[in-house]
Amino acid sequence: MVSKTEEAEVNRLESQADNGGGGEWEYLSLVRKLKLRRPDKVLKHGLTILNDPKKRSSLGHDEWTLYEQVAIAAMDCHCLDVAQDCIKVLQKKFPESKRVGRLEAMLLEAKGSWAEAEKAYLSLLEDNPLDQVILKRRVALTKAQGDISGAIQRLSEYLEVFMADHEAWRELAEIYVSLQMYKQAAFCYEELILSQPMIPLYHLAYADVLYTLGGLENLQTAKKYYASTIDLTGGKNNRALFGVCLCTFAVAQLTKGRYKEDKESPELQSLAAAALEKDYKLRAPSKLSLLGSTLRSLKLSS
Amino acid sequence: MAEDLVLDTAIRDWVLIPLSVVMVLIGVLRYFVSKMMRSSQTPDAKIVKEGQVIIRARNLRAAANFIPLKSFRARRVYFSNEENGLLHVPKGQAPNPQAQMFSDPNMAMDMMKKNLSMIIPQTLTFAWVNFFFSGFVAAKIPFPLTQRFRSMLQNGIDLSTVDVSYVSSRSWYFLNLFGLRGLFSLILGEENATDDTQRMMQMSGFGFDPSKSLGAEKDSLDIVQHEWALPKFEQRAEAVLRKLVS
Repeated sequence: MVSKTEEAEVNRLESQADNGGGGEWEYLSLVRKLKLRRPDKVLKHGLTILNDPKKRSSLGHDEWTLYEQVAIAAMDCHCLDVAQDCIKVLQKKFPESKRVGRLEAMLLEAKGSWAEAEKAYLSLLEDNPLDQVILKRRVALTKAQGDISGAIQRLSEYLEVFMADHEAWRELAEIYVSLQMYKQAAFCYEELILSQPMIPLYHLAYADVLYTLGGLENLQTAKKYYASTIDLTGGKNNRALFGVCLCTFAVAQLTKGRYKEDKESPELQSLAAAALEKDYKLRAPSKLSLLGSTLRSLKLSS
Repeated sequence: MAEDLVLDTAIRDWVLIPLSVVMVLIGVLRYFVSKMMRSSQTPDAKIVKEGQVIIRARNLRAAANFIPLKSFRARRVYFSNEENGLLHVPKGQAPNPQAQMFSDPNMAMDMMKKNLSMIIPQTLTFAWVNFFFSGFVAAKIPFPLTQRFRSMLQNGIDLSTVDVSYVSSRSWYFLNLFGLRGLFSLILGEENATDDTQRMMQMSGFGFDPSKSLGAEKDSLDIVQHEWALPKFEQRAEAVLRKLVS
Protein backbone atom coordinates (compact mmCIF):
# COMPACT_ATOMS: atom_id res chain seq x y z
CA MET A 1 0.00 0.00 0.00
CA VAL A 2 1.29 3.40 -0.89
CA SER A 3 1.72 5.81 1.97
CA LYS A 4 0.39 9.35 1.95
CA THR A 5 3.80 11.00 1.65
CA GLU A 6 4.71 8.78 -1.27
CA GLU A 7 1.43 9.57 -2.97
CA ALA A 8 2.03 13.28 -2.55
CA GLU A 9 5.55 12.90 -3.88
CA VAL A 10 4.39 11.02 -6.96
CA ASN A 11 1.73 13.60 -7.74
CA ARG A 12 4.17 16.42 -7.30
CA LEU A 13 6.71 14.85 -9.62
CA GLU A 14 4.01 14.04 -12.12
CA SER A 15 2.77 17.60 -12.31
CA GLN A 16 6.33 18.83 -12.50
CA ALA A 17 7.18 16.54 -15.38
CA ASP A 18 3.90 17.29 -17.14
CA ASN A 19 4.59 20.97 -17.12
CA GLY A 20 8.00 20.51 -18.63
CA GLY A 21 9.93 21.13 -15.43
CA GLY A 22 12.26 18.18 -15.72
CA GLY A 23 12.50 15.50 -13.06
CA GLU A 24 11.19 12.80 -15.38
CA TRP A 25 13.71 10.22 -14.30
CA GLU A 26 12.84 10.65 -10.61
CA TYR A 27 9.17 10.32 -11.45
CA LEU A 28 9.75 7.14 -13.43
CA SER A 29 11.92 5.64 -10.70
CA LEU A 30 9.29 6.36 -8.06
CA VAL A 31 6.55 4.86 -10.21
CA ARG A 32 8.68 1.77 -10.71
CA LYS A 33 9.44 1.47 -7.02
CA LEU A 34 5.82 1.82 -5.94
CA LYS A 35 4.61 -0.42 -8.78
CA LEU A 36 1.99 2.07 -9.91
CA ARG A 37 0.22 1.64 -13.19
CA ARG A 38 0.25 4.92 -15.13
CA PRO A 39 1.07 3.80 -18.63
CA ASP A 40 0.28 7.00 -20.50
CA LYS A 41 2.50 9.18 -18.33
CA VAL A 42 5.27 6.59 -18.19
CA LEU A 43 5.18 6.24 -21.96
CA LYS A 44 5.28 9.96 -22.59
CA HIS A 45 8.08 10.77 -20.19
CA GLY A 46 10.00 7.60 -20.85
CA LEU A 47 10.08 8.27 -24.56
CA THR A 48 11.27 11.84 -24.04
CA ILE A 49 14.24 10.45 -22.18
CA LEU A 50 14.93 7.58 -24.51
CA ASN A 51 14.68 9.55 -27.73
CA ASP A 52 17.19 12.10 -26.55
CA PRO A 53 20.62 10.46 -26.88
CA LYS A 54 22.22 12.81 -24.38
CA LYS A 55 19.73 12.07 -21.66
CA ARG A 56 19.87 8.39 -22.50
CA SER A 57 23.59 8.11 -22.07
CA SER A 58 23.43 9.95 -18.77
CA LEU A 59 21.37 7.09 -17.36
CA GLY A 60 24.13 4.52 -17.71
CA HIS A 61 23.02 1.08 -16.67
CA ASP A 62 19.54 2.19 -15.75
CA GLU A 63 18.86 2.70 -19.44
CA TRP A 64 17.86 -0.94 -19.82
CA THR A 65 15.48 -0.83 -16.86
CA LEU A 66 13.88 2.19 -18.46
CA TYR A 67 13.52 0.32 -21.76
CA GLU A 68 11.72 -2.45 -19.93
CA GLN A 69 9.43 -0.04 -18.12
CA VAL A 70 8.59 1.83 -21.31
CA ALA A 71 7.97 -1.43 -23.19
CA ILE A 72 5.41 -2.54 -20.62
CA ALA A 73 3.75 0.88 -20.60
CA ALA A 74 3.60 0.84 -24.39
CA MET A 75 1.88 -2.53 -24.32
CA ASP A 76 -0.61 -1.12 -21.83
CA CYS A 77 -1.37 1.74 -24.20
CA HIS A 78 -1.45 -0.65 -27.14
CA CYS A 79 1.41 1.13 -28.94
CA LEU A 80 2.77 -2.20 -30.03
CA ASP A 81 5.38 -0.90 -32.44
CA VAL A 82 6.98 1.20 -29.70
CA ALA A 83 7.03 -1.87 -27.50
CA GLN A 84 8.51 -3.92 -30.30
CA ASP A 85 11.34 -1.43 -30.77
CA CYS A 86 12.17 -1.35 -27.08
CA ILE A 87 12.21 -5.12 -26.90
CA LYS A 88 14.42 -5.34 -29.97
CA VAL A 89 16.96 -3.05 -28.33
CA LEU A 90 16.88 -5.15 -25.17
CA GLN A 91 17.23 -8.34 -27.16
CA LYS A 92 20.34 -7.06 -28.87
CA LYS A 93 21.88 -6.16 -25.54
CA PHE A 94 20.81 -9.23 -23.57
CA PRO A 95 20.34 -12.20 -25.86
CA GLU A 96 19.12 -15.35 -24.14
CA SER A 97 17.79 -13.44 -21.21
CA LYS A 98 14.72 -14.68 -19.37
CA ARG A 99 13.56 -11.20 -18.51
CA VAL A 100 13.58 -10.25 -22.18
CA GLY A 101 11.89 -13.56 -23.00
CA ARG A 102 9.11 -12.59 -20.65
CA LEU A 103 8.72 -9.25 -22.38
CA GLU A 104 8.50 -10.97 -25.75
CA ALA A 105 5.81 -13.30 -24.49
CA MET A 106 3.93 -10.30 -23.09
CA LEU A 107 4.10 -8.66 -26.50
CA LEU A 108 2.60 -11.77 -28.08
CA GLU A 109 -0.14 -11.59 -25.48
CA ALA A 110 -0.76 -7.93 -26.27
CA LYS A 111 -1.02 -8.73 -29.95
CA GLY A 112 -3.61 -11.37 -29.18
CA SER A 113 -1.73 -14.45 -30.36
CA TRP A 114 -2.70 -16.50 -27.35
CA ALA A 115 -1.34 -19.86 -28.39
CA GLU A 116 2.11 -18.52 -29.15
CA ALA A 117 2.23 -16.59 -25.91
CA GLU A 118 1.26 -19.73 -24.02
CA LYS A 119 4.02 -21.66 -25.77
CA ALA A 120 6.54 -18.97 -24.92
CA TYR A 121 5.56 -18.98 -21.24
CA LEU A 122 5.72 -22.75 -21.06
CA SER A 123 9.22 -22.80 -22.50
CA LEU A 124 10.29 -20.19 -19.96
CA LEU A 125 8.79 -22.29 -17.21
CA GLU A 126 10.82 -25.31 -18.29
CA ASP A 127 14.01 -23.71 -17.06
CA ASN A 128 12.52 -22.60 -13.80
CA PRO A 129 9.19 -24.22 -12.95
CA LEU A 130 8.76 -22.07 -9.88
CA ASP A 131 9.09 -18.67 -11.45
CA GLN A 132 6.37 -16.66 -9.73
CA VAL A 133 6.14 -13.91 -12.30
CA ILE A 134 5.70 -16.28 -15.24
CA LEU A 135 3.11 -18.32 -13.41
CA LYS A 136 1.12 -15.20 -12.67
CA ARG A 137 1.37 -14.05 -16.28
CA ARG A 138 -0.12 -17.36 -17.37
CA VAL A 139 -3.07 -16.70 -15.11
CA ALA A 140 -3.45 -13.25 -16.66
CA LEU A 141 -3.28 -14.83 -20.12
CA THR A 142 -6.09 -17.23 -19.31
CA LYS A 143 -8.17 -14.43 -17.87
CA ALA A 144 -7.60 -12.23 -20.91
CA GLN A 145 -8.85 -15.01 -23.15
CA GLY A 146 -12.07 -14.95 -21.22
CA ASP A 147 -11.62 -18.38 -19.66
CA ILE A 148 -12.40 -17.35 -16.08
CA SER A 149 -12.76 -20.81 -14.64
CA GLY A 150 -9.42 -21.77 -16.15
CA ALA A 151 -7.93 -18.67 -14.57
CA ILE A 152 -9.39 -19.68 -11.21
CA GLN A 153 -7.92 -23.14 -11.53
CA ARG A 154 -4.47 -21.88 -12.47
CA LEU A 155 -4.54 -19.31 -9.69
CA SER A 156 -5.55 -21.95 -7.16
CA GLU A 157 -2.69 -24.15 -8.27
CA TYR A 158 -0.35 -21.20 -7.91
CA LEU A 159 -1.67 -20.52 -4.43
CA GLU A 160 -1.20 -24.16 -3.45
CA VAL A 161 2.50 -23.55 -3.59
CA PHE A 162 2.83 -19.84 -2.95
CA MET A 163 0.20 -19.43 -0.31
CA ALA A 164 1.75 -16.37 1.27
CA ASP A 165 1.33 -14.20 -1.82
CA HIS A 166 -1.39 -11.77 -0.80
CA GLU A 167 -1.66 -10.10 -4.20
CA ALA A 168 -2.70 -13.42 -5.65
CA TRP A 169 -5.33 -13.91 -2.94
CA ARG A 170 -6.70 -10.48 -3.75
CA GLU A 171 -6.95 -11.29 -7.43
CA LEU A 172 -8.71 -14.55 -6.65
CA ALA A 173 -11.16 -12.77 -4.37
CA GLU A 174 -12.03 -10.27 -7.06
CA ILE A 175 -12.54 -13.03 -9.62
CA TYR A 176 -14.87 -14.87 -7.26
CA VAL A 177 -16.85 -11.72 -6.58
CA SER A 178 -17.22 -11.15 -10.31
CA LEU A 179 -18.59 -14.67 -10.59
CA GLN A 180 -20.84 -14.17 -7.53
CA MET A 181 -19.17 -17.05 -5.68
CA TYR A 182 -19.35 -15.13 -2.46
CA LYS A 183 -18.50 -17.87 -0.02
CA GLN A 184 -15.19 -18.50 -1.71
CA ALA A 185 -14.56 -14.78 -1.97
CA ALA A 186 -15.14 -14.47 1.77
CA PHE A 187 -12.48 -17.12 2.35
CA CYS A 188 -10.00 -15.19 0.23
CA TYR A 189 -10.72 -11.96 2.03
CA GLU A 190 -10.19 -13.70 5.34
CA GLU A 191 -6.75 -14.74 4.11
CA LEU A 192 -6.03 -11.13 3.23
CA ILE A 193 -7.15 -9.89 6.62
CA LEU A 194 -4.94 -12.50 8.25
CA SER A 195 -1.88 -11.39 6.39
CA GLN A 196 -2.48 -7.65 6.77
CA PRO A 197 -5.03 -7.05 9.50
CA MET A 198 -4.64 -3.32 9.67
CA ILE A 199 -5.67 -2.43 6.15
CA PRO A 200 -9.25 -1.12 6.15
CA LEU A 201 -9.76 -1.98 2.48
CA TYR A 202 -9.89 -5.69 3.20
CA HIS A 203 -12.25 -5.29 6.15
CA LEU A 204 -14.55 -3.27 3.94
CA ALA A 205 -14.50 -5.77 1.11
CA TYR A 206 -15.08 -8.64 3.51
CA ALA A 207 -18.01 -6.82 5.07
CA ASP A 208 -19.47 -6.18 1.61
CA VAL A 209 -19.27 -9.84 0.73
CA LEU A 210 -20.83 -10.91 4.03
CA TYR A 211 -23.63 -8.40 3.62
CA THR A 212 -24.30 -9.72 0.13
CA LEU A 213 -24.38 -13.29 1.39
CA GLY A 214 -27.09 -12.36 3.82
CA GLY A 215 -28.42 -14.34 6.73
CA LEU A 216 -28.57 -13.12 10.30
CA GLU A 217 -25.17 -14.21 11.44
CA ASN A 218 -23.45 -12.87 8.34
CA LEU A 219 -25.20 -9.54 8.68
CA GLN A 220 -24.12 -9.16 12.26
CA THR A 221 -20.57 -10.07 11.36
CA ALA A 222 -20.69 -7.65 8.45
CA LYS A 223 -21.80 -4.89 10.77
CA LYS A 224 -18.82 -5.59 12.99
CA TYR A 225 -16.45 -5.41 10.07
CA TYR A 226 -17.95 -2.16 8.84
CA ALA A 227 -17.36 -0.87 12.34
CA SER A 228 -13.74 -1.95 12.25
CA THR A 229 -13.34 -0.18 8.93
CA ILE A 230 -14.77 2.96 10.47
CA ASP A 231 -12.32 2.64 13.29
CA LEU A 232 -9.36 2.08 11.02
CA THR A 233 -10.21 5.00 8.77
CA GLY A 234 -11.20 7.42 11.53
CA GLY A 235 -14.81 7.61 10.43
CA LYS A 236 -14.03 9.05 7.03
CA ASN A 237 -15.12 6.12 4.90
CA ASN A 238 -18.65 6.83 3.77
CA ARG A 239 -19.16 3.38 2.36
CA ALA A 240 -18.58 1.85 5.76
CA LEU A 241 -20.99 4.32 7.36
CA PHE A 242 -23.65 3.41 4.84
CA GLY A 243 -22.83 -0.22 5.42
CA VAL A 244 -23.49 0.09 9.12
CA CYS A 245 -26.86 1.71 8.50
CA LEU A 246 -27.89 -0.88 5.96
CA CYS A 247 -26.79 -3.77 8.13
CA THR A 248 -28.73 -2.51 11.10
CA PHE A 249 -31.79 -2.07 8.96
CA ALA A 250 -31.44 -5.53 7.44
CA VAL A 251 -30.98 -7.15 10.83
CA ALA A 252 -34.03 -5.37 12.17
CA GLN A 253 -36.01 -6.55 9.16
CA LEU A 254 -34.95 -10.13 9.65
CA THR A 255 -35.61 -10.32 13.34
CA LYS A 256 -38.64 -8.00 13.39
CA GLY A 257 -37.92 -6.96 16.91
CA ARG A 258 -37.80 -10.45 18.33
CA TYR A 259 -34.10 -10.23 19.01
CA LYS A 260 -33.12 -7.77 21.68
CA GLU A 261 -31.15 -4.78 20.46
CA ASP A 262 -27.58 -5.84 20.79
CA LYS A 263 -26.19 -4.11 23.79
CA GLU A 264 -22.73 -3.74 22.43
CA SER A 265 -23.31 -0.74 20.25
CA PRO A 266 -26.79 0.68 20.55
CA GLU A 267 -25.94 4.03 19.13
CA LEU A 268 -23.73 2.98 16.28
CA GLN A 269 -26.31 3.38 13.56
CA SER A 270 -27.54 6.79 14.69
CA LEU A 271 -23.98 8.01 15.02
CA ALA A 272 -23.19 6.70 11.56
CA ALA A 273 -26.22 8.49 10.16
CA ALA A 274 -25.18 11.71 11.87
CA ALA A 275 -21.64 11.39 10.52
CA LEU A 276 -23.01 10.84 7.02
CA GLU A 277 -25.19 13.92 7.25
CA LYS A 278 -22.28 15.98 8.43
CA ASP A 279 -20.10 14.81 5.58
CA TYR A 280 -22.78 15.44 2.97
CA LYS A 281 -23.38 18.92 4.35
CA LEU A 282 -19.71 19.60 3.90
CA ARG A 283 -19.09 18.07 0.52
CA ALA A 284 -22.34 17.71 -1.37
CA PRO A 285 -25.03 19.91 0.19
CA SER A 286 -27.25 19.54 -2.83
CA LYS A 287 -27.62 15.83 -2.14
CA LEU A 288 -28.41 16.31 1.52
CA SER A 289 -32.14 16.00 1.03
CA LEU A 290 -31.65 12.77 -0.90
CA LEU A 291 -29.59 11.41 1.94
CA GLY A 292 -32.18 12.50 4.46
CA SER A 293 -34.99 10.69 2.68
CA THR A 294 -32.88 7.53 2.32
CA LEU A 295 -32.04 7.49 5.98
CA ARG A 296 -35.63 8.14 6.88
CA SER A 297 -36.70 5.15 4.87
CA LEU A 298 -34.22 3.14 6.83
CA LYS A 299 -35.89 4.50 9.95
CA LEU A 300 -32.65 5.91 11.16
CA SER A 301 -33.16 9.61 10.98
CA SER A 302 -35.86 11.80 12.29
CA MET B 1 59.04 -7.91 33.39
CA ALA B 2 57.53 -4.79 32.08
CA GLU B 3 60.26 -3.39 29.94
CA ASP B 4 59.17 -1.95 26.67
CA LEU B 5 60.54 -3.58 23.60
CA VAL B 6 61.10 -1.17 20.80
CA LEU B 7 59.80 -2.67 17.64
CA ASP B 8 61.43 -1.76 14.38
CA THR B 9 59.22 0.35 12.17
CA ALA B 10 60.32 -1.87 9.35
CA ILE B 11 58.08 -4.49 10.87
CA ARG B 12 55.12 -2.23 10.45
CA ASP B 13 56.04 -1.40 6.88
CA TRP B 14 56.88 -4.86 5.71
CA VAL B 15 54.71 -7.15 7.77
CA LEU B 16 51.54 -5.61 9.10
CA ILE B 17 50.52 -3.52 6.14
CA PRO B 18 51.38 -6.02 3.40
CA LEU B 19 49.56 -8.75 5.28
CA SER B 20 46.39 -6.69 5.53
CA VAL B 21 46.63 -5.63 1.90
CA VAL B 22 47.10 -9.21 0.77
CA MET B 23 44.11 -10.38 2.76
CA VAL B 24 41.89 -7.68 1.32
CA LEU B 25 42.97 -8.56 -2.19
CA ILE B 26 42.39 -12.25 -1.65
CA GLY B 27 38.95 -11.49 -0.27
CA VAL B 28 38.02 -9.45 -3.32
CA LEU B 29 39.36 -12.18 -5.58
CA ARG B 30 37.27 -14.78 -3.78
CA TYR B 31 34.19 -12.64 -4.14
CA PHE B 32 34.50 -12.41 -7.89
CA VAL B 33 35.38 -16.06 -8.28
CA SER B 34 32.41 -17.12 -6.23
CA LYS B 35 30.17 -14.83 -8.27
CA MET B 36 31.29 -16.54 -11.44
CA MET B 37 31.02 -20.02 -10.04
CA ARG B 38 27.63 -19.60 -8.53
CA SER B 39 25.16 -21.84 -10.30
CA SER B 40 21.62 -20.62 -10.36
CA GLN B 41 19.85 -22.95 -8.00
CA THR B 42 16.47 -24.09 -9.17
CA PRO B 43 14.52 -24.00 -5.94
CA ASP B 44 12.89 -27.19 -4.90
CA ALA B 45 9.11 -27.02 -5.02
CA LYS B 46 8.66 -28.79 -1.74
CA ILE B 47 10.97 -26.47 0.15
CA VAL B 48 9.36 -23.37 -1.30
CA LYS B 49 5.93 -24.66 -0.40
CA GLU B 50 7.03 -25.40 3.14
CA GLY B 51 8.44 -21.94 3.52
CA GLN B 52 5.19 -20.42 2.36
CA VAL B 53 3.14 -22.70 4.61
CA ILE B 54 5.13 -21.48 7.55
CA ILE B 55 4.53 -17.87 6.65
CA ARG B 56 0.81 -18.48 6.26
CA ALA B 57 0.60 -20.36 9.56
CA ARG B 58 2.45 -17.57 11.26
CA ASN B 59 0.03 -14.99 9.84
CA LEU B 60 -2.84 -17.11 11.08
CA ARG B 61 -1.40 -17.15 14.55
CA ALA B 62 -0.66 -13.45 14.59
CA ALA B 63 -3.98 -12.18 13.30
CA ALA B 64 -6.25 -14.95 14.57
CA ASN B 65 -8.36 -12.51 16.50
CA PHE B 66 -9.44 -10.65 13.42
CA ILE B 67 -11.41 -13.38 11.74
CA PRO B 68 -14.54 -15.10 12.98
CA LEU B 69 -14.22 -18.12 15.19
CA LYS B 70 -15.57 -20.60 12.65
CA SER B 71 -13.07 -19.58 9.99
CA PHE B 72 -10.24 -19.72 12.46
CA ARG B 73 -11.19 -23.20 13.55
CA ALA B 74 -11.54 -24.38 9.99
CA ARG B 75 -8.10 -23.11 9.17
CA ARG B 76 -6.55 -24.58 12.27
CA VAL B 77 -7.90 -27.98 11.37
CA TYR B 78 -6.63 -27.56 7.83
CA PHE B 79 -3.17 -26.96 9.15
CA SER B 80 -2.84 -29.39 11.97
CA ASN B 81 -5.14 -32.32 11.52
CA GLU B 82 -3.65 -35.72 11.76
CA GLU B 83 -4.04 -37.19 8.33
CA ASN B 84 -3.22 -34.53 5.83
CA GLY B 85 -2.74 -31.30 7.74
CA LEU B 86 -0.13 -29.14 6.15
CA LEU B 87 1.96 -28.79 9.24
CA HIS B 88 1.78 -32.36 10.28
CA VAL B 89 5.05 -34.14 9.71
CA PRO B 90 4.64 -37.91 9.78
CA LYS B 91 7.08 -39.53 12.12
CA GLY B 92 9.01 -41.41 9.47
CA GLN B 93 10.03 -38.36 7.54
CA ALA B 94 11.43 -36.33 10.37
CA PRO B 95 15.07 -37.47 10.56
CA ASN B 96 15.47 -37.09 6.83
CA PRO B 97 17.15 -33.76 6.30
CA GLN B 98 20.73 -34.93 6.70
CA ALA B 99 20.28 -37.77 4.27
CA GLN B 100 18.41 -35.45 1.95
CA MET B 101 21.30 -33.06 2.00
CA PHE B 102 23.78 -35.62 0.81
CA SER B 103 21.62 -37.50 -1.58
CA ASP B 104 20.74 -34.41 -3.53
CA PRO B 105 23.77 -34.08 -5.79
CA ASN B 106 23.21 -30.44 -6.64
CA MET B 107 23.06 -29.30 -3.08
CA ALA B 108 26.09 -31.36 -2.12
CA MET B 109 28.10 -29.92 -4.98
CA ASP B 110 27.09 -26.41 -4.02
CA MET B 111 28.08 -26.87 -0.43
CA MET B 112 31.39 -28.36 -1.44
CA LYS B 113 32.10 -25.49 -3.75
CA LYS B 114 31.33 -22.97 -1.05
CA ASN B 115 33.43 -24.85 1.46
CA LEU B 116 36.36 -25.10 -0.88
CA SER B 117 36.27 -21.46 -1.79
CA MET B 118 36.47 -20.73 1.89
CA ILE B 119 39.05 -23.29 3.01
CA ILE B 120 41.66 -23.12 0.29
CA PRO B 121 42.53 -19.41 0.45
CA GLN B 122 42.51 -19.55 4.23
CA THR B 123 44.89 -22.48 4.30
CA LEU B 124 47.20 -21.01 1.71
CA THR B 125 47.39 -17.64 3.39
CA PHE B 126 47.99 -19.22 6.74
CA ALA B 127 50.82 -21.34 5.39
CA TRP B 128 52.31 -18.30 3.70
CA VAL B 129 52.18 -16.31 6.91
CA ASN B 130 53.78 -19.08 8.85
CA PHE B 131 56.51 -19.57 6.37
CA PHE B 132 57.50 -15.98 5.84
CA PHE B 133 56.50 -14.15 8.94
CA SER B 134 57.43 -16.35 11.79
CA GLY B 135 60.04 -16.14 14.48
CA PHE B 136 59.73 -12.50 15.41
CA VAL B 137 57.53 -10.18 17.33
CA ALA B 138 55.16 -8.39 15.03
CA ALA B 139 53.01 -6.16 17.18
CA LYS B 140 52.09 -5.18 20.68
CA ILE B 141 48.57 -5.51 21.90
CA PRO B 142 47.61 -2.40 23.85
CA PHE B 143 46.05 -4.21 26.81
CA PRO B 144 47.66 -6.74 29.13
CA LEU B 145 46.88 -10.42 28.82
CA THR B 146 47.35 -13.48 30.97
CA GLN B 147 49.92 -16.15 30.42
CA ARG B 148 47.33 -18.53 29.01
CA PHE B 149 47.35 -16.73 25.71
CA ARG B 150 51.02 -17.26 25.20
CA SER B 151 50.75 -20.42 23.22
CA MET B 152 48.06 -18.98 21.03
CA LEU B 153 49.50 -15.60 20.23
CA GLN B 154 53.22 -16.08 20.39
CA ASN B 155 53.61 -19.12 18.32
CA GLY B 156 56.88 -18.56 16.56
CA ILE B 157 58.59 -16.84 19.42
CA ASP B 158 60.58 -19.25 21.53
CA LEU B 159 61.39 -16.95 24.41
CA SER B 160 59.20 -17.56 27.37
CA THR B 161 60.02 -14.33 29.13
CA VAL B 162 58.62 -11.95 26.58
CA ASP B 163 55.47 -10.23 27.71
CA VAL B 164 52.34 -11.81 26.29
CA SER B 165 51.25 -8.53 24.80
CA TYR B 166 53.90 -8.91 22.16
CA VAL B 167 52.39 -11.14 19.53
CA SER B 168 53.52 -12.85 16.42
CA SER B 169 52.22 -12.22 12.94
CA ARG B 170 50.00 -15.26 13.10
CA SER B 171 47.73 -13.46 15.53
CA TRP B 172 47.70 -10.45 13.23
CA TYR B 173 46.50 -12.79 10.51
CA PHE B 174 43.62 -14.04 12.67
CA LEU B 175 42.75 -10.52 13.69
CA ASN B 176 42.51 -9.56 10.06
CA LEU B 177 40.50 -12.65 9.18
CA PHE B 178 37.68 -11.73 11.49
CA GLY B 179 38.01 -8.01 11.36
CA LEU B 180 38.00 -7.40 7.64
CA ARG B 181 34.40 -8.52 7.33
CA GLY B 182 33.22 -4.98 8.01
CA LEU B 183 35.58 -3.59 5.43
CA PHE B 184 34.38 -6.07 2.83
CA SER B 185 30.76 -5.22 3.34
CA LEU B 186 31.71 -1.61 2.75
CA ILE B 187 33.61 -2.27 -0.46
CA LEU B 188 31.69 -5.13 -1.95
CA GLY B 189 28.16 -4.37 -0.86
CA GLU B 190 26.04 -6.44 1.42
CA GLU B 191 26.28 -9.88 -0.08
CA ASN B 192 29.80 -11.16 -0.31
CA ALA B 193 31.34 -14.56 -0.14
CA THR B 194 33.85 -13.54 2.45
CA ASP B 195 31.31 -13.77 5.20
CA ASP B 196 33.01 -16.84 6.55
CA THR B 197 32.02 -16.49 10.12
CA GLN B 198 28.41 -16.00 9.19
CA ARG B 199 28.45 -18.99 6.96
CA MET B 200 30.06 -21.11 9.64
CA MET B 201 27.21 -20.18 11.94
CA GLN B 202 24.70 -20.94 9.21
CA MET B 203 26.10 -24.37 8.45
CA SER B 204 25.52 -25.63 11.93
CA GLY B 205 21.84 -24.71 11.79
CA PHE B 206 21.22 -25.90 8.26
CA GLY B 207 19.89 -29.36 8.04
CA PHE B 208 16.96 -29.29 10.40
CA ASP B 209 15.19 -26.23 9.23
CA PRO B 210 12.11 -27.46 7.39
CA SER B 211 10.58 -30.21 9.48
CA LYS B 212 11.47 -28.82 12.85
CA SER B 213 9.96 -25.43 12.20
CA LEU B 214 6.83 -27.08 10.83
CA GLY B 215 6.45 -28.99 14.05
CA ALA B 216 7.07 -25.85 16.07
CA GLU B 217 4.46 -23.92 14.11
CA LYS B 218 1.94 -26.68 14.60
CA ASP B 219 2.48 -26.66 18.34
CA SER B 220 2.17 -22.93 18.66
CA LEU B 221 -0.93 -22.96 16.50
CA ASP B 222 -2.53 -25.54 18.73
CA ILE B 223 -1.95 -23.34 21.72
CA VAL B 224 -3.61 -20.24 20.29
CA GLN B 225 -6.83 -19.20 21.97
CA HIS B 226 -9.19 -17.39 19.72
CA GLU B 227 -10.58 -14.19 21.13
CA TRP B 228 -12.53 -12.34 18.56
CA ALA B 229 -11.43 -8.72 18.55
CA LEU B 230 -14.23 -7.40 16.39
CA PRO B 231 -16.82 -6.55 19.09
CA LYS B 232 -14.24 -4.28 20.62
CA PHE B 233 -14.00 -2.55 17.28
CA GLU B 234 -17.66 -1.73 17.31
CA GLN B 235 -17.27 0.20 20.48
CA ARG B 236 -14.20 1.94 19.22
CA ALA B 237 -16.04 2.89 16.06
CA GLU B 238 -18.76 4.38 18.20
CA ALA B 239 -16.23 6.44 20.08
CA VAL B 240 -14.62 7.60 16.86
CA LEU B 241 -17.93 8.63 15.38
CA ARG B 242 -19.00 10.38 18.51
CA LYS B 243 -15.90 12.49 18.39
CA LEU B 244 -16.41 13.13 14.71
CA VAL B 245 -20.01 14.16 15.00
CA SER B 246 -19.77 16.29 18.08
